[in-house]
Amino acid sequence: EATKIRGMEHWAGGSRSPHAVSPQVLGWRVAAAITWSVLLLPICTAAFIILSGLDPFHPVRWISNSFNDLYTSYVIFCIFLMSMVIIIISIFNIEFYAVVPSIPCSRLALIGKIIHPQQVIHSFVHAIMGMLVTWCATVMTKGRFQFLAVSCTPSEGLEDAVPQMCLNEYHLFFLLSGAFLGYSYSLFYLINNMNYLPFPIIQQYKYLRFRRSLPLLIKHSCVESLHFVRNFCVTYYFFGYIPKVWICTTMDLHTDGKLHPLDTLSGLLDLSLFYHTWLSGVFLLMTWYIAWLLFKIYATESHHFPIQPTFAQETDQCLPKILNSNPPLLIKFLALQDLMLLSQYSPVRRQEVFSLSQPGGHPHNWTAISRECLSLLSDLTQRLIAQQEAAAAANGRAKPPVGELKVPPQTPEDMSFQSQRSNIVLRASMSPLVKPSLMPVKTSPGSDVGSPFSSPALNYKMGVVDIKSPWHGPVQSPHVMRRGPKLWTSVSDQQMNGSHHESFPVLSAARTGTEAVQPRFIYTWLQNKQEQIKTFLSKRALIMYFFSKHPEASIQAVFSDAQMHIWALEGLSHLVAASFTEDQFGVVQTTLPAILNTLLTLQEVVDRHFKLPHVSSKPPRISGSLVDTSYKTLRFALRASLKTALYRITTVFGEHLNAVQVSTEHKKRLQQFLEYKE
Amino acid sequence: QLSVLLSLQLTSEDMIAAFSQAVDWAGCTVRAFAWHPHTNKFAVALLDDSIRVYNSNSATVPSLKHRLQRNVAAMAWKPLCASILAVACQSCVLVWHLDPTSLSTRPSSGCAQVLSCPGHSPVTSLAWAPSGERLLSASPVDTAMLVWDVSTETCVQLQWFGGGGVTYLAWSPDGSKVLAATPSAVFRVWEAQMWTCERWPTIRGRCQTGCWSPDGSRLLFTVLGESVIYSLSFSEYRGEMQGQVGGSKTASIVADLSETTFETLYGEERIGGEVHSMVWDPTGERLAVIIRGEACPLFPPHSGFVRGERGARPQLISFHPCFPQGALLTVCWSSGKISHIPFFFVGALEPHASPRRSPVPVLGSVREQPLFSEL
Repeated sequence: EATKIRGMEHWAGGSRSPHAVSPQVLGWRVAAAITWSVLLLPICTAAFIILSGLDPFHPVRWISNSFNDLYTSYVIFCIFLMSMVIIIISIFNIEFYAVVPSIPCSRLALIGKIIHPQQVIHSFVHAIMGMLVTWCATVMTKGRFQFLAVSCTPSEGLEDAVPQMCLNEYHLFFLLSGAFLGYSYSLFYLINNMNYLPFPIIQQYKYLRFRRSLPLLIKHSCVESLHFVRNFCVTYYFFGYIPKVWICTTMDLHTDGKLHPLDTLSGLLDLSLFYHTWLSGVFLLMTWYIAWLLFKIYATESHHFPIQPTFAQETDQCLPKILNSNPPLLIKFLALQDLMLLSQYSPVRRQEVFSLSQPGGHPHNWTAISRECLSLLSDLTQRLIAQQEAAAAANGRAKPPVGELKVPPQTPEDMSFQSQRSNIVLRASMSPLVKPSLMPVKTSPGSDVGSPFSSPALNYKMGVVDIKSPWHGPVQSPHVMRRGPKLWTSVSDQQMNGSHHESFPVLSAARTGTEAVQPRFIYTWLQNKQEQIKTFLSKRALIMYFFSKHPEASIQAVFSDAQMHIWALEGLSHLVAASFTEDQFGVVQTTLPAILNTLLTLQEVVDRHFKLPHVSSKPPRISGSLVDTSYKTLRFALRASLKTALYRITTVFGEHLNAVQVSTEHKKRLQQFLEYKE
Repeated sequence: QLSVLLSLQLTSEDMIAAFSQAVDWAGCTVRAFAWHPHTNKFAVALLDDSIRVYNSNSATVPSLKHRLQRNVAAMAWKPLCASILAVACQSCVLVWHLDPTSLSTRPSSGCAQVLSCPGHSPVTSLAWAPSGERLLSASPVDTAMLVWDVSTETCVQLQWFGGGGVTYLAWSPDGSKVLAATPSAVFRVWEAQMWTCERWPTIRGRCQTGCWSPDGSRLLFTVLGESVIYSLSFSEYRGEMQGQVGGSKTASIVADLSETTFETLYGEERIGGEVHSMVWDPTGERLAVIIRGEACPLFPPHSGFVRGERGARPQLISFHPCFPQGALLTVCWSSGKISHIPFFFVGALEPHASPRRSPVPVLGSVREQPLFSEL
């Protein structure tokens, strides 16, 4: 799972990496975020108490009662308890955050994520926390929701000596709704990639960012709570009797015959019940979202890294040092963001970048910064080339002339990307090997060479196998198999409702088929099994549904960490542009050819990427919701900032660029940039 | 805040006409004009909602039409880019991606990105960051101005309370500050790093127009109902002072344009009055203003006037962003004609910081008499 870089692994920070900077920078941010979310809790609680006692016909009594309730001991106890909940939720936010989102490329990968042990723990704890919050809500709401066991309504006629205890189904309903909401929150957290930390497009103070998001947060909580409560009502209608019976037997409670059972239609049509459930849902979601939002705002706030150490022991916290080492990803992101900001706004710090070391006179700062930026960019170039090769190989076309792309050798620093790239290359080189083994399959149903099987569209998917999916290894053959179906276009889709499990023996059989060396054997074998395969293929819709890769998702996955490259581009180009007037010693000049080379090569590759099939050239529309999906459009931002970066350099240097040594092709390209024709 | 209430009652067309930089937006053939920041290319928005793009190197004149391109109030070319044009329309901002090498005269509407946000219409002003990364859009009815990341079509609302919407935007050439005028007697200057603002109440009316000096240290602005130009100076911009605009305490009057009698070749003429729009050339040595329909370039210590053809009144003025020999003023007239008026001079600041403007010793100036430059 190469790109699935979890903050979790890095959070411990200090103990694993030599950098003292991560606990320093991040620890304070986390502490501040948690403190603020706990401090905001009493305000939310007060609003909840006032709204839960809503009594529009007696406004004076309503207001005075609400204010009296605020100071009672049980409310204070509830606030204390919920503070604990907020802290636990915050810890989960911190443990699960990621600056590079992990994008499931197929439905199966998504299911794999949902049943991943980490996620199961996440869901379980959130369900418990949800129950705790709704318990607090019932206590604060008072009235008929407060206790789980109440004394039964004395039935007329029978004079019982001992008053029996009955189950208060409202209370149970509330608790279960809390668990349901907690679980739904956790599920949506996963599906919407809410652990992703998007960096804002403009810098703003934290308070302003929070204020800007608050109306959106309230609206989102209200709407989502409505959806969740509706779903919960449906669930309770069908399965509500199970927990009810269970609680009654374990706690030896009776059911009150006088009251309506809630798992009926009439029981659920209780407006007051619905209102209170919804309100406690809003309360729960709002407090949790506030904790989440504050963490996001604090974690993505820009951090000022020094360029040169004032004291010897601070060397590790300097920007060049951090960029060139392997800190937690968040720190690397913050460092690149700081580089972008200083290159754009701070002449004093730019001067430090261009400065020479005191004894020796080496431009260490500039060398370190430019080397890291260039290695990041050429890394992306490599990755894109590999992806394009894979696509081209899958398309059955001739490979693009990669040889002419002079990609500068890059440092083997980022192991995760290295491994991912090698994976892709591996797949790309594998596909020609797989193809011959499929040939007999092609001839089997009696079709000739001109069968639609050889169409490029069919082979397209071969190279783009989901590397990140945990199912990559064991379930490789279904990928091969699912291409098969298009052969038998006559096969009807009538038996789509067949079970998935039946097909497994066939899958394993097919695997042996693809790996077999002798085509003739497979041919006969396939004829024997034709009937069996046909039944399997008729259920292909289900299999396709789970295995088919969404092309858009796989492209998003390739560009999931593009924010780093965008900042590297912006930082580098601003520095180079500023160097025209500010660089006294000419340190930038020495790297200028390499920079231009890298940028132009990347430009070519990115251009080619946007010409691939399945690649849209326009970003999808993003609705202004609380859930940030900016990672879906990072590639468009990258394309734009790459072009702007090149223009920034060419506009400032102008004709002087003709004196820079680059290859003839790049010279042509540069000329086009100089003439504003790109 | 009567003017705020009034502006909300206007129809959107009236509103655009009231706040546009064009003198007679509703009636004139040319509604908006924009020079490309780096090349000899400009775009003209016409009364029929189409936009023509003229290029000195090419005979083809692409005509841009789009379903949503209604009531164009402003246009702006993206800096550090070959051919991306943002258009402020009735309901949205359209961003045209034109292929600079294409010979097509009718780019398809698929070349246009639509940036829209509920409650943000009509859009009357646009400003690109000089670094080319962000686009600002403003509407007189929306209290928030929007910062767009055009490539991803995401926006951030910059909200404040009081003062109504935003009628006019001007980004300083050094990229550090943004002027945002409102329909009420107050305008704001934003600092473009942390996006905090300073509020400036004016005495008489709303801020009609404004322009920045090339280094972003000085802002000239005019107020509706007064025939003077105010100047506001800012402390030199350094990246370290995050979140401070650094404006001086008071604005000073730098020019009084109240009506005076001038001796001209055609006899005495009375010229003067309120300023409608104002542009400052990129070298910082010429300032052009439109006074109630007269185009008037001012340059210290003298000033001169540009007279159009008989009956023609100036609508829009703009300076060429990179004219190497001095300054090139473009005037759009009510007759529909567009004229370019060159000013040849050697700037006092030469050699200029930008290498593209190597000094070319072309002398010959309109600085000498006569006061009028004939067309």
